[in-house]
Amino acid sequence: MTFVSKKIISISILLVCSGLAQNSLDDQYNYAKSLFDQEKYFDAITESKRLLFFDEQKLYGFEANMLIGLSYKAGAKYNEALKYFVLSEVNSKNDEQLFNSVILSARTNILRRTTQQSEKILNSLLANPKYFNRTKEIKYWLGWNYMFSNKWEKASEIFSEENLDSSLAAICRSVVNESYNENFAKYSSYIIPGFGQFYTGEYLNGLISLGWNVLLGYLTINSFVEDRIFDGIITGNFLWLRFYIGNTKNAEKFAKEKNLTIINNALERLQYDFNGSKP
Amino acid sequence: MFFVTAQSQTDWVRWGKSDPDYKISVETNTKQFDFSIYTFGDIVLKPVINAYRFFISDVDGDNCPFYPTCSAFLLASVQRTNIFQGTLMFFDRFSRDTNIFEREKHYPFYGKHHFYDPVDLYTLDKDLIKVIPAATQVKETK
Amino acid sequence: MKVLLFQIIISAAVLAQNINFNSPENIRLFADFLFCDRDYLRAIDEYEKYLSYSDEDTIRFKIALAFSAIGDQYNAIKNFNSLQETSKLYQISRIEELKSLFNLKQFSQLNSKANELNQLKSDYSDIAKKIVNLSYLLNNESMPSEKIFLEPFDVQEKTIVQNFYFQKTNPDYKSEVLAGVYSAIIPGLGKIYTENYSDGITSFLLTGLFSYLAYTNFNNDHPVRAWIFTLAGAGFYAGNVYGSIASAQIFNAKINFDFINDVYSFIEEKKYFIPEYDFCK
Repeated sequence: MTFVSKKIISISILLVCSGLAQNSLDDQYNYAKSLFDQEKYFDAITESKRLLFFDEQKLYGFEANMLIGLSYKAGAKYNEALKYFVLSEVNSKNDEQLFNSVILSARTNILRRTTQQSEKILNSLLANPKYFNRTKEIKYWLGWNYMFSNKWEKASEIFSEENLDSSLAAICRSVVNESYNENFAKYSSYIIPGFGQFYTGEYLNGLISLGWNVLLGYLTINSFVEDRIFDGIITGNFLWLRFYIGNTKNAEKFAKEKNLTIINNALERLQYDFNGSKP
Repeated sequence: MFFVTAQSQTDWVRWGKSDPDYKISVETNTKQFDFSIYTFGDIVLKPVINAYRFFISDVDGDNCPFYPTCSAFLLASVQRTNIFQGTLMFFDRFSRDTNIFEREKHYPFYGKHHFYDPVDLYTLDKDLIKVIPAATQVKETK
Repeated sequence: MKVLLFQIIISAAVLAQNINFNSPENIRLFADFLFCDRDYLRAIDEYEKYLSYSDEDTIRFKIALAFSAIGDQYNAIKNFNSLQETSKLYQISRIEELKSLFNLKQFSQLNSKANELNQLKSDYSDIAKKIVNLSYLLNNESMPSEKIFLEPFDVQEKTIVQNFYFQKTNPDYKSEVLAGVYSAIIPGLGKIYTENYSDGITSFLLTGLFSYLAYTNFNNDHPVRAWIFTLAGAGFYAGNVYGSIASAQIFNAKINFDFINDVYSFIEEKKYFIPEYDFCK
């Protein structure tokens, strides 16, 4: 009986102690977390920093740094967010935590449009045999990375692979299909002035371009035929050439502008209509 | 005016939630047609400038290295001063436009492809002159 | 029994972890950490929390310093002013106030505050004199004589400051009238005078080209073309005279701009001559 009661006492003491020990740090973490959940990100960072400052044994090194990183990310302060995701990576206690911080670094880089960095991070994760079972997730973010670095064809490939995400694949494909060929627009206008403008749907501009080029071309050639060499050089050099070069530049500009509109429409759909997980 | 670079500088003002913007910022130098008439100068000038923009500057490529463009500069300088002084300012602008040398030593940048050359510098009103060091970017990016 | 002992040891070790995050001492510790980490706004919040427990001049002073560092000079001045005259930090806070006023470009107030400080016979009145004298360089009031101006500065500073004094009293301005006259005589010369060399040459070439075109077209009996070129040539000529005057104005504005920048960089580099604090050692 005494033996049993001793045991009960010791267990209860153990429980109380361990409960108390975690208590204050844990409370503080929960407080910071609750501020984060209320979208009070600035204060969430303050409380997390307080936790880190007093947490001498770094029990919350991962969690607190992660919370700070997430808060900065929510405030679109990506440079700071990245710094803290690296810190949470350093303080991670297992592979799962490490993976999560690295993925967040990659997602922040995507949002910051430093897509070369995120591509590097994601590819090194992909090459790591430890995360072999997470390949799908990594590839999903790699797809987002391609979308943000304007590689829509590659993005569409990666999303269609193994049915990773069919709705994203459809968006990427539509961008690829709708886009104008910038080089075709430019060089076709070299051959027939105004053609690239027609190709991109700028008919009026194309017609005016064609008109100028025909008129000035005629005037230039006519001057040479009539032996007015000086006039020919002046009209050819200062007028015809200007409108000819301008015509090709315009065709290319229109194609680029239209493509940008198409891309921005797709990005807008991603931001507001797409319901899956986003960077 | 003078910033000390510090690691915590972003937190020197309170900030809140801010949604990311996925869209790529568009940089265009589009000229708008302006049909409003306020002064005598507008009656003479605006049809000419609108026709110029429609028939010439919209089709001969983006030749003006400056922001505001030469036609916008002309319009603004006539509005700010008078038709005589505005024309003089335009001729001066046009000769600076022709000069292709040392631009990055003289003008701040406006976006990636243009130099910033505002009307304020040339109205001969000293109080309006605001010096911006050459080669600094003046266009705000989001 | 051994188990029990073991448990007590462990629990004691863990209990030590039990921290009261909101005790005044801990608030202050955390605030000091934030202050030295240059996380000033958070430090201000924490120090203000601490003030509600105990009112200390050092804390008020540090709050003011933090405001000053993040560029909120109005709040900085307010907090520097909240120090008691009996405080050890009172005199240095007066100097810090001068620094804030300097940054706000409120030079007349700077002057009167500095005079108050001089009457106190403060150890810091030399610093105050330096700041006030440098402020003369930035406002449009009349300058003191060179001797008075240079007096508070030490030997190393003197050469730079003397140079400032000279630039202020004899600025390298270009004359607008001269620029206009030069360009009226030879197109573009006024722009070369204001050191816009390539613009000057362009003006010269354009005016020359159109005059030449007008001339040859009059000679070859193309009067319509000739008049168009004459008009354009006249436009470029008049525009070049106008532009040279504008160019001189811009040149002078740049001189002022660079001068003000130089003065500010100098005083920033010297940290307003204020001795360093040991709050973060």
